[in-house]
Amino acid sequence: MVKFLKPGKAVILLQGRFAGRKAVIVRVFEEGTRDRPYGHCLVAGLAKYPKKVIRKDSAKKTAKKSRVKCFIKLVNFTHLMPTRYTLDVDLKDVAAGTDALSTRDKKVAACKAAKARLEERFKTGKNRWFFTKLRF
Amino acid sequence: MVASKKTKKSTDNINNKLQLVMKSGKYTLGYKTVLRTLRNSKSKLVIISNNCPPLRKSEIEYYAMLAKVTVHHFHGNNVDLGTACGKYFRVCCLSIIDPGDSDIIKTTPGDQ
Repeated sequence: MVKFLKPGKAVILLQGRFAGRKAVIVRVFEEGTRDRPYGHCLVAGLAKYPKKVIRKDSAKKTAKKSRVKCFIKLVNFTHLMPTRYTLDVDLKDVAAGTDALSTRDKKVAACKAAKARLEERFKTGKNRWFFTKLRF
Repeated sequence: MVASKKTKKSTDNINNKLQLVMKSGKYTLGYKTVLRTLRNSKSKLVIISNNCPPLRKSEIEYYAMLAKVTVHHFHGNNVDLGTACGKYFRVCCLSIIDPGDSDIIKTTPGDQ
């Protein structure tokens, strides 16, 4: 009776190219839109997880291993597995409207901005679960 | 002795309450719609049969935990649950949206 598919919720994608990847809900379209007449949401997720960083690594190596590749996608609710985790990263201005996915340039720009936010969150060491790959 | 007698009465109670919900309330039957009602927070109670596959059972329980909805494990398999709903098919899980005249929502969490 509590709505749990809210912006900031960490989810796992179940279908598509990014199946098994973790993502965070950015924007929810509860009733759908004219193009997509079903409940769906905009998610920003990790296409490539950051690699495991060890203490022995030099600064250059750490920077290279902490890189993240991001994706932004509109996903149907049925193709998501919600989790109990949340990720309060401010991605609203990154992928604010539906126009973030309208043209390729905007999508790339949004991905780059999301990548920067996610990378800085990874570097703080918080939300460790989100940045580890799901083993299955 | 007394405990088993009590559970027997509880299953009859559940069956009676379910019957009332079927008559007067709103419900959906089946896994896909149960998840849908849990997602859009319309569900008030979820009932799962005892022979539901364990992965599906834990998935429904997880969704219900996120949505803060009680899950009732029915003492019977999907055939029995279908019969309890007055249907001629098997029902593995069902979701009650609006209990109607029944008090199933109020009394079930206490039993379990």
